[in-house]
Amino acid sequence: MWNNIKSLFAGKSSREVAKGRLHLVLAHDRTGLEGGRLQEMRAEIAAVICKYVQIDADAVEIQIETRSRATQLTVSSTVQPRNA
Amino acid sequence: MGRAIVITSGKGGVGKTTTTANLGAALAQLGHSVVLIDADIGLRNLDVVMGLENRIVYHVVDAIQGKCPVSKALIKDRRIENLWLLPASQTDDKDSVTPDDMRTLVFELKMQYDFVLIDCPAGIEQGFKNAIAGADEAVVVATPEVSSIRDADRVVGLLAQADVPARLVVNRISPNLVKRGDMLSQNDVIEILALDLLGAIPLDDQVIATTNKGVPLVLEGKSLAAKEFVRIAKALAGLEVEDREPVGFFTRIGRALGLSATPA
Repeated sequence: MWNNIKSLFAGKSSREVAKGRLHLVLAHDRTGLEGGRLQEMRAEIAAVICKYVQIDADAVEIQIETRSRATQLTVSSTVQPRNA
Repeated sequence: MGRAIVITSGKGGVGKTTTTANLGAALAQLGHSVVLIDADIGLRNLDVVMGLENRIVYHVVDAIQGKCPVSKALIKDRRIENLWLLPASQTDDKDSVTPDDMRTLVFELKMQYDFVLIDCPAGIEQGFKNAIAGADEAVVVATPEVSSIRDADRVVGLLAQADVPARLVVNRISPNLVKRGDMLSQNDVIEILALDLLGAIPLDDQVIATTNKGVPLVLEGKSLAAKEFVRIAKALAGLEVEDREPVGFFTRIGRALGLSATPA
């Protein structure tokens, strides 16, 4: 109980931090994608999207995460309304 | 035909050798014939953990190179029926053995013994490849720490590539730290590595004391870790395993009085 109250104020427990870090690190380990390559891929994907819709290429986010033994690649971006 | 099980982890110092010694002793106590192979050539340790270091004449490399029959290199444990150790060589290196050598050796031992437990060296190089070569299944040992889990994950991937099915042993769990939110729980480790759990060994001072003496924990005590090793050995042998939940004093009284539910 006291621990629960404490954690409300202290933010995440070290256990949760460890879990979050591991999910990210393992995703990179499993795919063999180092940080630099991932950013290269991000830029290329952003360029492709730009050909079809208007987006802010610099605001495209890329993330790799693992759940179970499956690894998920997420690319997200807001799409701007087309100019009338 | 017996079963060959490799005990591996990627990272060093997480308890592979202790796990090998105790699972071997526990399986032998259950009545199975067991050979332990120390596959950590050049850095042998299973002999001292077992307390058999003074009885080594021949070792695994001698047996593989035909300098002696395999049976001559086996050291019989005098404290338990049915337990033998095949020690590593301390002077050769990992390249003096090939995966094919290990496959042949392990196959030969499986013909005569119920269980062949292979203590894998740390790392994922030649020594690891040799150690898993003859294995039918794997026990991956991990402690609830980021470095250990990261390395275990690499090993799980490599085992999957080699078609060796793996199960997990989480070692050195401190229930107090988990409760405080300062240690990953066994369920966290299972979730992250996505492996089936064989067992979770609590952090236990007795492990150090018994290793000092060269006596496997399961031969000495009734400590929590010893009990868990016996549980895991039973699970490996396919025996029915009893409820693992620790049962407290008051719960037991409550149960005796019919006040609380019996365990599921």
